[in-house]
Amino acid sequence: MTAALDIFLRLVAWLLLAPLLPGIINKVKAWVAGRRGPPVLQLYFDLAKLWRKGVVLSTAVSPVHIIGPAMAWIAILAAALLLPFGPAGTSLSFRGDALLFVYLLAFARFCIALAALDTGSAFEGMGVAREVSYAVLSEAAIITALLTLCVQSGSVSLATMLAPSAGAGAALLAAGLFGVLLAENCRVPFDDPNTHLELTMIHEVMVLDHSGPPFAAILHGASLKLLLFAVLLAEAVLPLGKLTLPQAVGALVAAVFVVAIAVGLVESLLARLAFRRVPLLLTTAFLLCLFALLVAWKGGTP
Amino acid sequence: MTPGWLLLIAGGGLVAGIFSAFKSPRVWLAATLTGAIASFSAAVWMLASGATWNWQPQFVIGGEALHLQLDGISAFFLILLSVLGGAATLYSSEYWTDKAHPASAPSGRAWWNGMLLNMGFVLLCANGLHFLIVWEIFTVCAYFLVTRERQRPAARAAGWLYLAASHVAMIFLFAFFALLAARTESWELGPMREHAELAPLFWLALVGFGIKAGIFPLHIWLPSAHANAPSHVSAIMSGMAIKMGIYGIVRFTGWLPTPDSAGWVVAALGVVSAVLGVAFALGQHDLKRLLAYHSVENIGIILIGLGFAMIAASHGNAAWGQLALAGALLHVWNHGLFKALLFLGAGSVLHATGTREMSRLGGLWRAMPWTASLFALGATAIAGLPPLNGFVSEWLVYLGLFDAVAAHGHAAFAAILAAVALGLTGALALACFVKVCGVVFLGLPRTEIAEHVHECGWRMRLPMLVLGAACVTIGLAPILFWPALATASAAWQPALTSANALSSAPLVTLGAFHLALATLVILAAIFLWQRVRQNGVSRAGTWDCGYAAPTPRMQYTAGSFAGIITGWFDWILRPQRHGHLPKGNFPAHADFTEHTPETVLENIVEPASSLVLRVSTAVRRLQHGRVQSYIFYLLLGLAALAILAVMGGAK
Repeated sequence: MTAALDIFLRLVAWLLLAPLLPGIINKVKAWVAGRRGPPVLQLYFDLAKLWRKGVVLSTAVSPVHIIGPAMAWIAILAAALLLPFGPAGTSLSFRGDALLFVYLLAFARFCIALAALDTGSAFEGMGVAREVSYAVLSEAAIITALLTLCVQSGSVSLATMLAPSAGAGAALLAAGLFGVLLAENCRVPFDDPNTHLELTMIHEVMVLDHSGPPFAAILHGASLKLLLFAVLLAEAVLPLGKLTLPQAVGALVAAVFVVAIAVGLVESLLARLAFRRVPLLLTTAFLLCLFALLVAWKGGTP
Repeated sequence: MTPGWLLLIAGGGLVAGIFSAFKSPRVWLAATLTGAIASFSAAVWMLASGATWNWQPQFVIGGEALHLQLDGISAFFLILLSVLGGAATLYSSEYWTDKAHPASAPSGRAWWNGMLLNMGFVLLCANGLHFLIVWEIFTVCAYFLVTRERQRPAARAAGWLYLAASHVAMIFLFAFFALLAARTESWELGPMREHAELAPLFWLALVGFGIKAGIFPLHIWLPSAHANAPSHVSAIMSGMAIKMGIYGIVRFTGWLPTPDSAGWVVAALGVVSAVLGVAFALGQHDLKRLLAYHSVENIGIILIGLGFAMIAASHGNAAWGQLALAGALLHVWNHGLFKALLFLGAGSVLHATGTREMSRLGGLWRAMPWTASLFALGATAIAGLPPLNGFVSEWLVYLGLFDAVAAHGHAAFAAILAAVALGLTGALALACFVKVCGVVFLGLPRTEIAEHVHECGWRMRLPMLVLGAACVTIGLAPILFWPALATASAAWQPALTSANALSSAPLVTLGAFHLALATLVILAAIFLWQRVRQNGVSRAGTWDCGYAAPTPRMQYTAGSFAGIITGWFDWILRPQRHGHLPKGNFPAHADFTEHTPETVLENIVEPASSLVLRVSTAVRRLQHGRVQSYIFYLLLGLAALAILAVMGGAK
């Protein structure tokens, strides 16, 4: 019973807190640009509105167009449930859940990509092609980051892998994971969430033809994924497992805030990259994770 | 009813099928399916009991007494053979009918049964000579099945290449078995791990079985043979025939000692096959050729697991070796199941449209909902995504690799490389199957042929449903299959203990998670569907940026979709690009085609063979029929011998 309650509470926390992060990022961007900006809770209003709206479906689409976003949303949520939370650990922990985590995100990508290709639009084809191609490099980086944590902790379970800090290579790992976070969540310099030119978009162009509740599922899923990566980054770097519960909560909230502000600052200060440069930057993120792995390796041998 | 009797029924059914193939397709179907079910039961019996069935009648073939043996490894592969054989048999009864193919269907059925029967014998034979004989018959039967459409030059060329490559493999196997027999002074096969002097023979077996398995760069025959064979044949070739190569490697690394470097080489070949196999697959526009390259990829994944199991076995049987081996073995089953499913799906597309060219298809889900859904299921499985079976086996291999890394042992660095390569492979396979499903089944029909299609009948649908159900079952309840894996692992290397491996691979938890995930995914889809209907739906055209006259041909194609990734692999894919760029202010004509050749075949094997041909033509001038010159050769030879003798200090 307590286990069920535990899962339920975590679920509610993830679902309710996720849309906050894009709001904070937008606030930071507005602040840097000297604007007032949309309210922090804007995404909640958007989601509520979309959920009540009717749907415009393309004449070309199959049921995948609606089923895909639902499946992706569940997969991202399941991945979020696998992440531990400091001293409270996780309600679902077993050996190898780290790999399940990575592949659940891949499953979500698969569903969204098929839902996008379903419209038969060349724009959406372009976006999907970019999304799945760049994901190859970011997946290699994530696997390397997991290997680093595995070397550090000697475990393949997220709960034990994320409890201690990433040790001497923490800065390298944080930089690498931050790059992956930006790429996987389609932020500048990989993609621009605010762009209005279909030819240059990645994530936004994949969801051009979505509307109403399925679009709400996609947007909420995207915000969940952003929060999930921010939490993963924070937990990989900070030794949350060694703190008391209030300390851990404080540290985690502060770290997620820092990540959000960093994303906002990057977005305000950098221009997006030309597409041919994107693989180079992602390779850099991969190399950073690899160097973190080497550092952990050296530090790990007695 | 004992396993022996069941196997007798299976053999009898297949032989009866050969005799009835020409006269009565119905009797053939019934006899072959009976055979498949009987051999399935026998194999399940043996795996469940963990015992070994031996049959040594005083019956001499070719001077050697017959010896059939069904142990854990044989039974493990025999189950796959029975399932795929049965499914593809039923499928072919609608796919390759007498009505549509009056000339090739009856003899095709006979060759089909011949191939199934001899593959079964390969798995059972415990005598080197008989192994070679049935291996050769199975190879030749497969040749006649690949060339069912002899009137097409492409099919003839593919068959010829397959036959040539198989016989190169055969030479290596002849050498392997002959040397083995010479050193042990018997053709009998069995465990002989204590004879350390046999270890170098492993390399012969690796090349011989590796060509059959389609390891990169020995895979040159595989893409064209799988693409040009009828689809039920492609399914069994890709699902089972190349696994015979894996069977050979597993069997003889288990029975014979191996050199120290063997495991490293196998794992390295696995990494290369996995990454390059999927890279080549991305460059293909032909649906079945693409699937064929994915076989190379999956063989690579199997070899990564097997290679690390061998490394572990030669270094004190570390527990992670058991996990890697379990992953590799389970992937043998999984790849057989989902690849056969995908080939049967591709066959039903080919049956309906008459083309394998993906860029001419599109929007097939409307007319073919069953094929489209089952193909998508197979695609999810082969991309290694939860909650299906492909993920379970890749997860086991990953666990083995991560444990090897965490152990800080000698294999850790190699395991890091292999784990990253496995991650790359998974993401690339995902990209490739998004492309296939999107281009073939979603969107709008690109050409007229894709508009007038029909769904396949129940005899083609049922086998796909069975294979799809098997993929789902292994994904949702992997623990049910652990005993089979443990029995096969124990037959491979008795020292490996499976008890502690299960505790380090929590398959029960994973299965429960998968089950919950699958349920929630379905519930969420239904919920969202109902919400959409509640809110009201209006229809409009796809957003086209305001362009006035979009046509279905403006959809993204397979080539453009894969362009980014194939660009990264240009150095090995060597795509050939032809076309005319638009010129001038009012461009009238422009075109572009891109074709990814079989690079190893065209850039290495073909130049090498033409060099051999040229040298041999030059040497042939020595033989011209003039006796005077022949006498001159003799004199030269004698003189050379004399000089050698004098120089060597002969008395």
